[in-house]
Amino acid sequence: MPGMKSLFMLSALAFGVCSSYAMAQDSVIDKVTPVTDEMLLNPPDGDWLMWRRTYNGWGYSPLDQINKENVGDLQLAWAWGMTPGGRTQETPLVHDGVIYIQNSTHLIQALNGATGELIWEYQHELPDDVSPNGVRSKSIYEDKLIVSTRDGHLIALDTKTGQLVWDQQVVNKDQGFAFSSGSIIANGVIVQGTTGCSNAQPGGCFFTGHDVNTGAEIWRVHTIARGDTPEGNSWNGIPLESRHGASAWIAGSYDPDQKLIFAGVGQPYPWIAEISGLLPKSSDPNVTNNALYTDSTLAIDVKTGELKWYHQYLPNDSLDLDYVYERLLIDLPFNGQDRKMVVTSGKIGIIEAIDRTTGEWLWAKETVPQNVVLSIDQKTGEKTINPEVIPHIGQTTFNCPADPGGRAWQATAYSPRTQTLYMPTVEFCSNTTPQPLDPGEIYVSGGRATFARVPTPESDGNIGQVRAIKLTDQTDSWMYRQHAPVTSSTLPTAGGVVFVGTLDRKFMAFDDETGAVLWTSGSLSNSLESFPVSYSAGGKQYIAIVANWASGLGRLQSLTPEIKLPPNNPATLYVFALPD
Amino acid sequence: MPVTFVFPRLAGLVLALTLAFCPAGPRPLAAQEPEFFDIPYAPGQWNIGRRLDVSQLRYCVDTRDADWEVAAAIADAVAGALLLEPNRYVVESSIVTEDITRIYAIMLEHCDVHMGFKLIPGGLPNWVTLTRPYYEANYVFVATDPALNALSDVAATRPIAATMGTSAHLRLVSYLTALPRESRWPTYPMGSNDLSLESVLNGTADVALVWAPSLWAKQRKDPAYAGFHVIDPAPLPPTALGVGALLLSDQTFLRTAVDEAIDALVADGTIQGILDDFGFPAVAGEAAAQ
Repeated sequence: MPGMKSLFMLSALAFGVCSSYAMAQDSVIDKVTPVTDEMLLNPPDGDWLMWRRTYNGWGYSPLDQINKENVGDLQLAWAWGMTPGGRTQETPLVHDGVIYIQNSTHLIQALNGATGELIWEYQHELPDDVSPNGVRSKSIYEDKLIVSTRDGHLIALDTKTGQLVWDQQVVNKDQGFAFSSGSIIANGVIVQGTTGCSNAQPGGCFFTGHDVNTGAEIWRVHTIARGDTPEGNSWNGIPLESRHGASAWIAGSYDPDQKLIFAGVGQPYPWIAEISGLLPKSSDPNVTNNALYTDSTLAIDVKTGELKWYHQYLPNDSLDLDYVYERLLIDLPFNGQDRKMVVTSGKIGIIEAIDRTTGEWLWAKETVPQNVVLSIDQKTGEKTINPEVIPHIGQTTFNCPADPGGRAWQATAYSPRTQTLYMPTVEFCSNTTPQPLDPGEIYVSGGRATFARVPTPESDGNIGQVRAIKLTDQTDSWMYRQHAPVTSSTLPTAGGVVFVGTLDRKFMAFDDETGAVLWTSGSLSNSLESFPVSYSAGGKQYIAIVANWASGLGRLQSLTPEIKLPPNNPATLYVFALPD
Repeated sequence: MPVTFVFPRLAGLVLALTLAFCPAGPRPLAAQEPEFFDIPYAPGQWNIGRRLDVSQLRYCVDTRDADWEVAAAIADAVAGALLLEPNRYVVESSIVTEDITRIYAIMLEHCDVHMGFKLIPGGLPNWVTLTRPYYEANYVFVATDPALNALSDVAATRPIAATMGTSAHLRLVSYLTALPRESRWPTYPMGSNDLSLESVLNGTADVALVWAPSLWAKQRKDPAYAGFHVIDPAPLPPTALGVGALLLSDQTFLRTAVDEAIDALVADGTIQGILDDFGFPAVAGEAAAQ
């Protein structure tokens, strides 16, 4: 009976397929091991265990299977549609070949890193009045995936099953608080920054430390200085109830030798100093209007939450020029002496290094055209601000860069291979006009200014750049320029390749030493505004990036009207690899 | 408040509104532009169907707005003038302040007209439009100290709590900036009218600069605010703003109809009657035009 035989074979084949699928799923998830403290200190080459992969914040992959010679052969391995709408700014985490992602709707998923098949998913239900948006990063510790949510919860999921282990509400979303970035876990403590401290919530934001086993809060560091101290008296004499801003919306880095977290704080709010109360300057000789700890690096003891020291880069920022972004911990000689540095840059695009053991300011390197800082004291780092760019009510001022920044949340990355920092930047300026924004009792948000974004006066039409800066001597190594803004973080690898994505839906690979373009993807589903990562699964290297329009530098549409993006803001996880 | 058909000629608009809401051919390209820069995103927006009941004026009021009951009465009157059945959606939330993009989802799902927005040039994104004002109200300086009857009575060392970023706050700061440093009142920006008023109650500030309807609402429900009184803003001039309703910018026909209804209801005294019934501190329409 040939018919029966065929049916039997078909059944057997189907059983085999199902079994192998199940076995593949089982084997991948069964092999997931607990993430130990040692792993977080020295992650396996194929893993991506935290936002910038390592405690030093480099965003560098030691994988070299994909290299300068073969990157031109890169092709799509698999893709996964994420929930559309909302903004993700996603950093996938990868451990033991399993990739963990957070959709804007707060659907958390575990996928097989080699095949893109779904292993488990967990839905954190957002309240109806919280708009679904992604959170930039997650963290992982032992058998727990730690997820931060837009409604101010920290949740722990079992890495193998997706089951909820604990759920801790940290902040009150009704007061405007939220999490837009995930945490960093060090020394068994979850360190989480809070955002949303605008006009809804005076007194500023905070970093909190949490017990990794329960989520319980164990310490809190306020990002707006308080009390009768030089720092507390740096708010122009206005009371705590009138101090706004200082959001902590980017995860920090960690120095295990000092057991210190290094993290950034955003600007005062509203941006216009005459509206925030920081101008006109008080006549009281005992107060300043520096607005500490805005636009600063904080060095926080991870066990106790003690603020060891701080460095402020931009006092009384009135142009939304956050110095909140990634902190890279890099050890290099400076002036003939080995220094342990913490390197960062704000929206103004000036890269600055301070000694992370003492807080001593070391050096600065300008990148994008800017007219905000006239000079920098080479001993202290103190900046002389151009008075002509400070916005005043009733006036329009011209400042470069504009509010989205010469760089934004898209992180820089450092390659130890080349001792070079790779920085995505854009060049543009703004005509800035303070603006009353009180249209409704509730709908009153905004920075209290309108920003008419225009090209730089000397623009060559190339708004987007990738810059390579040699950190041994702070010289320009190379620069790639194009019209479309560069909108993803950079990803340097041990293969000598730097990956970056653009507003016009291209994913690109550069030679890390020359800046030569080695590979360009076809047009993907949306702009690439996220954090690319590299990992290995089954012995093979993959490059992953999420396509999604996610604000930030995408706000430059007024300068690039010819770039069109699809409706409903689709989000897609793309994974590339070399052919087998 | 009885609804009067003060505007019979608008009855014909029902037919026109029907046509406006009916499915038509392809929308113009501008309306199909993807979310990219300034058109917000509403969760599940592709699941929100086209409304079928065109005999109603769907409007929203938000209980977090001081004037929401007054605004609802005015919206009922506007619906009546348009010979439409008022369909009220009351937004209730405990979130203190929200981004304007949030209202996109509310309007897609629940209402064509959202009451309660101040008319400020350039104050709103392009995807929304405002009607003409149905009332105009002032920002006011208020105090509890009976000895304070005018701003000029306040000593230069005494602080003023100002609701942050409002037109009146900006006017105050501009004035202070022009004064010698020793003559300036310390000004404390506060995140909301409620916080400004509270700061006077708890002694942080001597005077609060707030939206007059907020003081009205506070005094209606909390006896602790009974002793607050409005003081003369001199030497500053009063800051008045018109308040209208918000529509999505592609609702041009409805906006024209609502504008005409507001005009008629102002002209025949209906809106002033509503304001008077509530004892609401505002004048109908645009004060400057009267």
